[in-house]
Amino acid sequence: MKRKMLALVLTTTMIMTAFVGCGKKAETNNSKQVDTSVQDESAEAGKEETTDQVGEEKSIVTEPTTLTYVFADGDEGAKEAMNEIVNRFNNTYKDVTVKIMPGNGGAYSELLKTLDSVGEFPDVMEMRDTAAYIRAGKLEPLSSEITALFKTTTEFENAVYTAPLAGENTQGIIYNKAYFDENGFTEPTTYAEFIELCQKIKEKGDMSPLVVGGQDIWHMGFWFNKAYNDQVISQDPDFIANSYAGTKDFTDATVKATFEEMKEIMQYAQDGWTSTPDAQITTFLVNKMSAMMFSGTHMFSQIEAADREFEYGWFPVPSPDGKTRLVGGAGVGGLAISAEAAQDPNKKAAAEEFIKFFFQSENYKVYCEKLSAIPVTVEEPTIDVSDVFKEVIEATNTADDLCSMWNGQVGNKELPPDFRNFMYKTVIEVLQGQRDLDSACEELNKTWKTCMESFNPLDGTGIQ
Amino acid sequence: MNKKNKVKLQKSTYGFIAPAFILYSLFVIVPTISSVYYSFTSWDGISPVVRFIGLNNYKEILTSARFGNALKNTVILTIFISLLENAFALGLALLVDNVKIGKNFFRSAFYIPVLISGIVSGFIWKIMYNYNFGAINTILNDIGLGNLKQDWLGNNKLTLIMVGLVLVWKGAGYYMIIYLASLQSVSTDVIEASQIDGANAIQRFRRIIIPLISGAFTINFTLSLINGLKVFDQINVMTDGGPGFTTETLVYLLYKVGFNEGRQGFGTAVGMVLLFIIIILNSLQQKFLKSREVQL
Repeated sequence: MKRKMLALVLTTTMIMTAFVGCGKKAETNNSKQVDTSVQDESAEAGKEETTDQVGEEKSIVTEPTTLTYVFADGDEGAKEAMNEIVNRFNNTYKDVTVKIMPGNGGAYSELLKTLDSVGEFPDVMEMRDTAAYIRAGKLEPLSSEITALFKTTTEFENAVYTAPLAGENTQGIIYNKAYFDENGFTEPTTYAEFIELCQKIKEKGDMSPLVVGGQDIWHMGFWFNKAYNDQVISQDPDFIANSYAGTKDFTDATVKATFEEMKEIMQYAQDGWTSTPDAQITTFLVNKMSAMMFSGTHMFSQIEAADREFEYGWFPVPSPDGKTRLVGGAGVGGLAISAEAAQDPNKKAAAEEFIKFFFQSENYKVYCEKLSAIPVTVEEPTIDVSDVFKEVIEATNTADDLCSMWNGQVGNKELPPDFRNFMYKTVIEVLQGQRDLDSACEELNKTWKTCMESFNPLDGTGIQ
Repeated sequence: MNKKNKVKLQKSTYGFIAPAFILYSLFVIVPTISSVYYSFTSWDGISPVVRFIGLNNYKEILTSARFGNALKNTVILTIFISLLENAFALGLALLVDNVKIGKNFFRSAFYIPVLISGIVSGFIWKIMYNYNFGAINTILNDIGLGNLKQDWLGNNKLTLIMVGLVLVWKGAGYYMIIYLASLQSVSTDVIEASQIDGANAIQRFRRIIIPLISGAFTINFTLSLINGLKVFDQINVMTDGGPGFTTETLVYLLYKVGFNEGRQGFGTAVGMVLLFIIIILNSLQQKFLKSREVQL
């Protein structure tokens, strides 16, 4: 009898322990919020201090409401800016509290999927893989009041689901200005001049012409996207749509030319580029190990943080046909509201108010300055940015072509979910000589066909 | 014991088994069974709609060059670490078993890497292997062997081996403990008898010690085989499956396609194939190694 009782007690205890984390969602959120890092505490503290002072703010909810909010916090600038804006919001609205959930640093897309699968999908979030979440019915369309705040937004089946945080991360060459001045190097105005410049630096031998963070395949995406725009999109802007339709494929001469352009450029990368992570490229630049890097404007703050005295310049890399093609404009990512949260009128009102608050000039300015982000709102904030950043903004205004990254398109140009990584890895294989160009193109074709079996926006496969 | 007591004992026995059984079923058996279903779907891991596509995922596995490459990498890595880990572990065990002074120190020192998490060990070695700033290339430079410098994690011919070496470094201490326990259980009578018969150290090792510790071989080879087939942490941290697809193993492919590229259905099918491979290989290995075990 005693043994039976003991067994029963043990069984019950074990099962109770196993399920202790599976309470109601609200309870889970509350317990999570307690240990949600310093950010939340500071947000809360700030709120307590100032609620009385600003308690007169018009209430937008009928009862106290808490919103969970998650963003990609891998970048220090993003973390600082978001904390600042959330603090301001919490201080302004007495009945609404925005709680920041940790964003898991670099693996943000996976975090979103995990939160979704464990039933902790945030109320407001920085959205990635937007199309997949929209198709899954996880996002709420934004009101016209919000979409009117932006110069451009991306529509998805006649609705807008994301408030773009910034213009797409415009990439260009960031270079060591002092080194250029010392050696009489000037910013190239044509592609041929760019290659000539790389060759001169290589021959000089004191540093590598380019630093490339090839271990992070998304970094390779910067260069790939440039070469792809130069060679493929310049000839056929609908290449992906045509590939879905079967009228084009990856053995196309323009795809091969993309690989050739990559090969030409990558011969100027530093030794060990395939094992260099993106996080290390700033070190190469500021320590005079490399003269140039090709990356987005988010690197400006990282360079300044690494060496305040470092003098850098920026120029776009022209295409071989003489045109300037840049990544820019509003992309498909941005702030979004969860469809589940929107079912609660208070949460919906609070979430919409938070987004509107975020993009008010005085708040949005914080985000743009910290991340060197290009503003996308109609009412542009006056941002205190460097001359180099102003140069980037100017270049996006005068570029011959401005579009999202090849993997950030929607509609008939949307890539199958697994194709981007396959392409980048295949590029690395070709650059390392593991695979010849023809077999790489054949392999891309095979993979494309397989991908199309589970995703094809033309016939709706994988969408309905 | 009468029949009534027997039934009572059986009931309470089930009671004791129940907690572990329920938890194991809930977190291992049920997900495994449901995975069989998902492997026949094109589920993306997000959408509430799960589309049944029959054997398509398995057909793709059979024709996919990426799967073939991952299988090849898995086999190479598993054989490499199984052999090297066991050879290294046995060597360490013999050293610790025969050393006169500092036995405990050496045992602890060799075991320390086991206590470091896979992620942390991956980071440590990633920094050591770094082409420009890593300790290995810096040392080679400093001692005048700069021409031997390599891009250890960027050279597609070396990377898999370099990851394998980290796994050996991390895992050998664990297998050493099993070998050591087995070595210490070998009766001194048998050893002394062989010495009296004139057997030298090598003969004793080959003819007496190895057969007597063959049980440890079975356990260690089985464990290292399974561990080799499911390596994930170090690859994730050190190479992310690259450069290109050079270090993409089956488990890593499963993770990449399932969680990163939105093809949970295909990823699950890869998982099913991996499960099947583990069962087959493990059965064969058990059969082979058991037949060589010697009972005293």
